[in-house]
Amino acid sequence: MAELKIAAELRTEFGKGPARRIRRADRVPAVLYGHGKDPVHISLPGHDTMLALRTANALLNLDIDGGGTELAIPKHVQRDPVKGFIEHVDLLAVRRGEKVIVDVPVLVQGEAAPGALVTHEHSTLRVESEATHIPERLEVSIEGLEPGSQVQAGDVPLPAGVVLQMEPDALVVGISAAPSPEELEAELAAAEADAGIERDAPQAETAEDGDAVEGSAAGEPGDAAGQDEASGS
Amino acid sequence: MLIPRRVRHRKQHHPTRRGNAKGGTALAFGDFGIQAVEGHYVTNRQIESARIAITRHIRRGGKVWINIYPDRPLTKKPAETRMGSGKGSPEWWIANVRPGRVMFELSYPNEKVAREALTRAIHKLPMKCKIVRREAGEF
Repeated sequence: MAELKIAAELRTEFGKGPARRIRRADRVPAVLYGHGKDPVHISLPGHDTMLALRTANALLNLDIDGGGTELAIPKHVQRDPVKGFIEHVDLLAVRRGEKVIVDVPVLVQGEAAPGALVTHEHSTLRVESEATHIPERLEVSIEGLEPGSQVQAGDVPLPAGVVLQMEPDALVVGISAAPSPEELEAELAAAEADAGIERDAPQAETAEDGDAVEGSAAGEPGDAAGQDEASGS
Repeated sequence: MLIPRRVRHRKQHHPTRRGNAKGGTALAFGDFGIQAVEGHYVTNRQIESARIAITRHIRRGGKVWINIYPDRPLTKKPAETRMGSGKGSPEWWIANVRPGRVMFELSYPNEKVAREALTRAIHKLPMKCKIVRREAGEF
């Protein structure tokens, strides 16, 4: 994975007030830690950080103003729950050749057999890899797999130098039989009846059914009111 | 429809509508999801209606997850009743959804069909929502 160079500045004041000032200046507060050293509080340029973090486990080459350069990978990213912008980044300092344990996304390729329902149980796999050679993604092919077959973590092909760090029998992709159209229709009809949902009638009967629908819809609250009145008195 | 089997208190206060969602703000199971942009109470009928809208559109080959549960009762006094005489009777079961909450998730191979299904479900929900998608590898 290529290194992404990012210019960082040391932070000297902390707390929500200064952090908000940093965010208003289109920068992201961050902390860098690892190797038993004291954490370093820095701020990163907002746009560059956002672009860099689009890649999983991006290797960042931080050029810290007055603090030298450091290699780091993102450990945790806090985002605004609605807008999605980055509020804070935890960075883990790494060295060249050092092994790290990271979660790598799994990309499922191909199409299963017709009538199969594909379920992704694990979207990432925990692996140990060299910090400078973390794979961007792990690819799994489900081409032509029949219902009842599974892809387990141990079946996923890993690049050289990457070791799986989770149970090899963990289910990654499960292939099951999709429900038949009759089963699906019966389930939906039962659910709609339970919820009191009425489906539109065919065009020819629109006028009569329209009245019927309105009548029944209006009847429900009326019935409820009648009961309430009875209970109230 | 989703209804709690047993509750400790039959009548509760209205849950607070302040603040954003603290958890459940990212996709956990599926590839696409409906995220609330505003806070609102969502009734069990609305949840079921949205689920049916999704399932009717995707037919087979997809899977739907519902991440919210209507575990709070709301009460209502009967119409034309004078104030007082105690709290009204339970009328709805609601989930208190705050902004940012991913309410429904969907796994489906075709993005266009998945988005159309989720759009139909959004029309059944009482608040503004947006469709979110799992980006491969994005933090």
